Amino acid sequence: MDNLMARSDAEERSAGFAARVAENQRRVFHIAYGVLGNWADAEEVSQEAFLHAYRKFSSLREAEKFRAWVNRIAFRLALNRQRGLRRRLVRDSTWHMAGPSDTVDGSSHAEQRVLLERLRNEIEGLPAKLRRVLQLSIVEDMDANDVSLVLGIPAGTVRSRLHAARKFLLEAMK
Amino acid sequence: MKNDCAKWNDPLLEAALTGTVPLDLQQHLSACPSCTEEFSALRARRERLDSLLPLVAQSGEPSPEFHARVLAAAEAPGNARRTPPWLAWGLATVAALLVAALITSFALRSRTSPPVPQAELAAAQKLAEWRAPSDIFLQTPGSEMLRSTPKLGVSYLRLPAKTDKEKRP
Repeated sequence: MDNLMARSDAEERSAGFAARVAENQRRVFHIAYGVLGNWADAEEVSQEAFLHAYRKFSSLREAEKFRAWVNRIAFRLALNRQRGLRRRLVRDSTWHMAGPSDTVDGSSHAEQRVLLERLRNEIEGLPAKLRRVLQLSIVEDMDANDVSLVLGIPAGTVRSRLHAARKFLLEAMK
Repeated sequence: MKNDCAKWNDPLLEAALTGTVPLDLQQHLSACPSCTEEFSALRARRERLDSLLPLVAQSGEPSPEFHARVLAAAEAPGNARRTPPWLAWGLATVAALLVAALITSFALRSRTSPPVPQAELAAAQKLAEWRAPSDIFLQTPGSEMLRSTPKLGVSYLRLPAKTDKEKRP
């Protein structure tokens, strides 16, 4: 009887975790990718973040709690990896960057790749406070509240830093 | 843009970003073709920026097997219920402190051990000075001479000189 209960508990845990991974994997990957700019590293960091979450899953069963926690841990892990790889960080070639939906003609595609690379360099040049807010804010499905939970700063500060970062980039991308 | 339009740089950037043009800037734009041109360029650049920024994070996607791989790794025997690093470090620290405490207590105990009785000390001294009777066989007649270094011109052989009476037969 106890065995049956324990098994059903484990199955419920696995099913709950699988659902949470499915809900969050895309956003978590984009958080890591926004920092690292490398597909393989981003996927490794995302997996690591979910494994951390699995170990703490008993206290993260609520969807909102899980979401905020996994966002934060993914961002921290990505920053840690970026620090570790700073000297040998290899971004994906811009061929990788364009998604399958970007079926534009060759010339505009090439122009976009160049602009994207330039934009990435400009973002790297931003002060850390602005850069972190921007890296998280550009992730689809991340609003100012989500970013504020990851960085531990008020949502108003997130908005003002995001505005400052965009202004900086607007001026830099002449 | 003319030099006297430099003060409008920041308001133009703000207006391009927010999409709100304040009244004083509107009046200036209506009278200044170069600033109007600059404003149009800024708005075009902002639109391009808005379209590019999401691509910085979202141009990559997790692989289709990512979900299955995460679940498999989570269910792997080595992952679940692993000792958290802080607990491992804590246990290691406690063990190190225990060893240090043991070493310190032994050192203190040896330092504050009770004094040895005089009788025992005297017996130990006697034992240290004791020589086996056979030591005498190890001595040779020349041992005393060998201890002192012979000096040039000095005789170290002290032979008793014969008296005149002894010399006469």
